[in-house]
Amino acid sequence: MDGDKKRTKEDTWKAEELRKHLKAALPESQNEDQKHREKKLQRERSVHDINPYRHEYRGREKSKERTRERERFKSSERDRDKRREREREKEQQREDRERHKDKVQESWLEERHSVLKYKDRHTDRERDKKHKTYEIIDPQNYLKSFEGRDTEHHRRREIRHRLEEERARTEERERRHKAQKDNDLRKQIEKFLAYKAEEGERVHKFEKHQELNKERERKYREKKEHSSGTEKERLSTEKSYKHYGKEEEEKHKSKRSKEKSSHGDREGPAAEADERVKSREKERKKYDLRNSEYKKEERIQEEMSHQLVRTVKDKGKLIETEDMDTRQEEMKDTHVFNPDTEFKDFSLNYEDDFEVYEDDFEDDEDKSDEVGDAEENLREVQFSRTSEIEEIQRAITAENDRIFNPLPKKLENEKKEPVMERQDSSVRSSFCGIFMDFQMANQRQSSRSMASKQKKRTSDLLPLIDLDFSVSFSLLDLPPVNEYDMYIRNFGKMNTKQAYVQCNEDNLDRDIQTEEVETLEKWTQHPGESALVSGGPINSQNTSVNGAPTPKIDSQRLANFLRSACQVIAVLLEEDQVATQPRKLRSRQTSLSISDSCFQLNTNQPFLHGRKIPCLYVSQVQRQTLLSAHGLPEKAGVGLLSRKSLICVWNIWQPSSPQKVLICDSEVMCCCFSPSKATLVFAGTADGSLLVWDLREDSRMHPSMMITETEWTFRVPTFSTDGILNSVNHTSPILAVEPVSTSPSSDHSYGLSSLSYQEEMSSPPFQIASMDENGILNMWVVVELQKADLAGSQTDLGLVPGGKVKLVHSSTMELSNSLFPKDISQRMPQTLTIKFLSSNPNHFIVGTNIGLVGHGTRHDLKVVPKLFRPQESRLRSISITAIDFFPFGKPLFLVGCSDGSIRLHQMTSEYPLMQWNGSTKGQPIIALQWALTRPAVFFALDASSNIYIWDLLENDLLPVAKQTMPSERIVTMTLLGEPEKANGLLGIVLAKESGQIDIQYVKKKWALPQPEESDKLYSILLQSF
Amino acid sequence: MGELGPDEGAEGAERAENTYSLRPGLQHRFKSSTVKECIRAILKEKLADVEYKPEEMPELTKSLSDTIKDRLKEEGFDRYKMVVQVVIGEQRGEGVNMAARCFWDADTDSCAHDVFMNDSLFCVVAAFGCFYY
Repeated sequence: MDGDKKRTKEDTWKAEELRKHLKAALPESQNEDQKHREKKLQRERSVHDINPYRHEYRGREKSKERTRERERFKSSERDRDKRREREREKEQQREDRERHKDKVQESWLEERHSVLKYKDRHTDRERDKKHKTYEIIDPQNYLKSFEGRDTEHHRRREIRHRLEEERARTEERERRHKAQKDNDLRKQIEKFLAYKAEEGERVHKFEKHQELNKERERKYREKKEHSSGTEKERLSTEKSYKHYGKEEEEKHKSKRSKEKSSHGDREGPAAEADERVKSREKERKKYDLRNSEYKKEERIQEEMSHQLVRTVKDKGKLIETEDMDTRQEEMKDTHVFNPDTEFKDFSLNYEDDFEVYEDDFEDDEDKSDEVGDAEENLREVQFSRTSEIEEIQRAITAENDRIFNPLPKKLENEKKEPVMERQDSSVRSSFCGIFMDFQMANQRQSSRSMASKQKKRTSDLLPLIDLDFSVSFSLLDLPPVNEYDMYIRNFGKMNTKQAYVQCNEDNLDRDIQTEEVETLEKWTQHPGESALVSGGPINSQNTSVNGAPTPKIDSQRLANFLRSACQVIAVLLEEDQVATQPRKLRSRQTSLSISDSCFQLNTNQPFLHGRKIPCLYVSQVQRQTLLSAHGLPEKAGVGLLSRKSLICVWNIWQPSSPQKVLICDSEVMCCCFSPSKATLVFAGTADGSLLVWDLREDSRMHPSMMITETEWTFRVPTFSTDGILNSVNHTSPILAVEPVSTSPSSDHSYGLSSLSYQEEMSSPPFQIASMDENGILNMWVVVELQKADLAGSQTDLGLVPGGKVKLVHSSTMELSNSLFPKDISQRMPQTLTIKFLSSNPNHFIVGTNIGLVGHGTRHDLKVVPKLFRPQESRLRSISITAIDFFPFGKPLFLVGCSDGSIRLHQMTSEYPLMQWNGSTKGQPIIALQWALTRPAVFFALDASSNIYIWDLLENDLLPVAKQTMPSERIVTMTLLGEPEKANGLLGIVLAKESGQIDIQYVKKKWALPQPEESDKLYSILLQSF
Repeated sequence: MGELGPDEGAEGAERAENTYSLRPGLQHRFKSSTVKECIRAILKEKLADVEYKPEEMPELTKSLSDTIKDRLKEEGFDRYKMVVQVVIGEQRGEGVNMAARCFWDADTDSCAHDVFMNDSLFCVVAAFGCFYY
């Protein structure tokens, strides 16, 4: 049995050794029987592959061992006390290492000694055998092999050593045992119980394992037959290995538990120191074992390396995890660098080997039990170390695997090798740090390979790709917002609005704000399409300020007002003046019986002296206005005016001076006002020219003269027919000028003018009829020009520069031929006077020098009585000196003759209604005129300056009154009166030969109208038929 | 990716040259416009009523960039590596200028960016797509 055991031990070692050092030389120096067995194995290997065979072999071995183990268990049961003791001792041995430092020192010295010797030998051998390459590649293996070789030589010396050691140890143990017996008792029991339970488990599984092993063996044999053991074919048999692996695990568990028991004690603060001590002790033991057995040396060597691993790993880590780690490490390493199968085999074999060792130790134990205490102690140590050994071996594999790593690591390792060998654990611990680098390096390695891969990739790709800088993308460009915008942005959201803006930039003071600006909305348009180019609503507030209310001035009305007002004021002033004066002019005590009062127009002007008055004319509209024509002065003299005749315009209410003075070159024969308004004065002259004065003209247009401290303006005619229109113009002196209203008006029918006419300046057109001595009647149209031409007209040569009124010839009638029958016309009647019927301006009557009055129309119409004859039918050469139409509507007219007879005609009969002969006692009638206020009264003036008043109601045969003018001869007479006003004022204007003009107001009885006077008059006239 | 074993090395390269695809397929190309649309849509959805709160922004940027990245991955830009950068800042009236410049293969790689602004913040998202040969 012993021999058998030995064989197995050696065999397993051999197998392992061989597997580990396939390339290395086999250990030469061995025991003889060992050698023998080895040879046998080698022979076997030459036939079969090493590993499967070994498995097979080991499997068989193991089964045997297990049976042995059971037996051993029983025995150990029996020797429980002993065991306990042993275990206690084992613990104590570890715990109390510090206490035995002296001894350790001793042993260390011994060890040193041996190491030195060993080294000497080593160098010798190295020289001899020249295993240099081997040494470089695998120093550790070399060491092992070297150790293996040296065991033989060492043995005898070592035995001695060991015996001494044994002795020392037993003494120590005994002491430790006593000291720590009580402390560790409980621990020991627990651990033992756990161990026992595991043992039981093992027993259960054992049979199964045996079967599995058998089966596996069978498979192996089959494989062996078919294949010569190439590694690849072995891969296929992995399956079977798995079973085996399981089994292995079981065993591992038990071993681990043992490890726990051994390692648990080592844990603690003093762990490292303990371990160092332990390692020394182990070294010492190693030598002991080496002495006894070759295999033990190896194991201790492994333990050493394992210890190294542990010193690193132990820090705060559990052993189990450590195991796992190491195993995983192994796995990884092998994965990368070794064929899997080989590794598996290898590791498994390893563990098998451990089992074997255990058994061996137990066998030894059994054997040594018999030998003695010392022997027993040794065995105990061996037993407890199995777990450690396991670890150590695992670490070794890991280390070895790493050793296969690339060169740099190996070199590193090699460098450290001498240190590791020669120096103690403190040096080794530093080596441990380097050992860590393996892992790091591994990672570095992998990353380096990756990097190289990447590098290759880039080098492949770079020539294919163009890398360039892109244009820089502007991802965001947010300009800074100024303070004001920010403010507005924040406030803009809040329903607020800015009301005021400070615009005066240099006034940065916050308090200064502009005042509210006054605004006014206006519109305008450009270009202006009409006169209105701008406008807009007028602010009512501003009108009071700006728009001064422009008074509505009707300038026309104002002018009218001023004109009349001026006259009124002037009259009032004159009356005041007269009143203050002694009754000189005014209402001089009249010497006339027919009149209540009389006054004189102030004809005592220097330019009027010595002039005969041929004509007086009172305006039919403006009854107070009087024209007096003044002929050439009898004495030639005084400058400018000596050769000129004058016309004075009088206002009877202002008798002190004429209103206006008109001058003309030739002697004025007759004159008249315009019918509607007394603004135009017409005059016919002795040389046959017709003159027009426009009284509205500015006085500055006319020459003025200072006469006796008074400036007089002498108006020249506005228009004169003198020298123009020769074909139609009169060639003989003009005897009569008559205004002819072209449209018959109701006013005229009554012989009265209406105020409405005055309002309208010149609206009713009228014509002027002028008749000369040759019986030629010219009709003239009065034309008012819109615009005066101060430069003088080129076409209208008779127009004064700046004048606005001109005469246009309308028609010409030869009255002597057309108006009279042949028999009468043979007598060559001379026309003397002409009157137009006021109610029908187309009809006119013409007085002749043969006592007949012709009746004509403007348009040569047939009229019924062509002639108005006197009652006596014979033709006499008597001149018709005066004709006057009845002013109260009826177509009646009075005719005064040069023989002093007065006839009253009506328009419808040839012969007169009444005829009064001899009333004037043969004196020719000079003037004859109806009273303006009484229809039945008329006045007559004879050549001997007698005034006769006829009142037909009172006496239709004789005049009711006769007044002889005492002083002077009366040249002409006319009447003044206002029929519209029943004030009883009826004046007789008398022009004296001296040039004086007297106005006599007749007595009221002839002036005031009587009721139904007209009807009475008509009835009287009808009776007279 | 042409994955190579460590041992294949030189001989592998000789045997079968690695199949590098140098250009993306037309339909897989990184299209700036579509990416921009994506970004815009996401920003509009996520940031519509967001107020700037400094403590929330880091998380928001992270979630935004992740959302956008995931969304872009759905677009099917094959073999593209996406980089999404999100910057959120507060609107306080300060001027901001952001720019990006890339060293890349202009034929394949591209970028898209979009800006979102509301009253309190601005958000700039730049998405870069780099083709992986």
